[in-house]
Amino acid sequence: MSAPFPLPGYKETALVDPFEVFVGPVYEQGEPPARRFAILIDARHVNMRGVIHGGMLMTFADAALGQAVWDVTDRAPSVTLNMQSQFLKPARAGDVIVVQPELIRRTRSFVFMRGDFRVGDETVLAVSSVWKLLGQD
Amino acid sequence: MSDHPAGIPPEAEIASTGGFNKYVGPLYRLPDSADGAVRRFAFAVAAQHMNGSGSVHGGMLMSFADTAMSRTARLSTDAKSCSTVSLNCDFVGPGKLGDVIEARVRVTRRARSMVFVSAELVAGERILLVATGLWKILGQA
Repeated sequence: MSAPFPLPGYKETALVDPFEVFVGPVYEQGEPPARRFAILIDARHVNMRGVIHGGMLMTFADAALGQAVWDVTDRAPSVTLNMQSQFLKPARAGDVIVVQPELIRRTRSFVFMRGDFRVGDETVLAVSSVWKLLGQD
Repeated sequence: MSDHPAGIPPEAEIASTGGFNKYVGPLYRLPDSADGAVRRFAFAVAAQHMNGSGSVHGGMLMSFADTAMSRTARLSTDAKSCSTVSLNCDFVGPGKLGDVIEARVRVTRRARSMVFVSAELVAGERILLVATGLWKILGQA
């Protein structure tokens, strides 16, 4: 279906959510809690101008930061409460986008995450998100 | 006659003509509010839009919000397109399989080269997501 993933040392991430499977695959490198995540932009992901759709970028961001939340909570159930996205630069089909999620703070009921999503050395998207751990008031 | 899914009114127009929007859609544009202040869009939740907990995936909600808000920004200008600069989303409640999710979008302010936009995504009376964002008008200084 899609081209082979071009970066060495990456393997496909096991995705659970049907929507992530639908727009994936997502790749990863390293071990929890320091996994790095990546996608290869293909024809499904771009808009009519040939630039990756903001929705695809945000979906990858939610998936990657969600995997990182799992890593720091021993896979506790959680939901995204808020996500702030800054679209710094366009990315195009054939580009590989890589993120190393950063844990900002974990409290009893919240996890604060952020990530810079890069193509090569340039950040194309900066995201901060707040996660609620379910069952913890 | 209309081929639209249940809950999408026959007067709705296809808003996803290609690319990612068509892949995750179909997305529809509904008639504007009677006073013209609110642009309205909709999609019918299907199995591929879900997360593993039985709710609509946040990525799909943000994709729909981005598309509806980008279109609203462009409709406020003479430009061919607008690009998203920033988007802030609060996930207020879950969407469910079979929901028809409607986006109600307003332009807060149209400046010379930027448009400020806000939106609510609802399923019936339930608010699912509120969003504000900033769009750059392309082809202008």
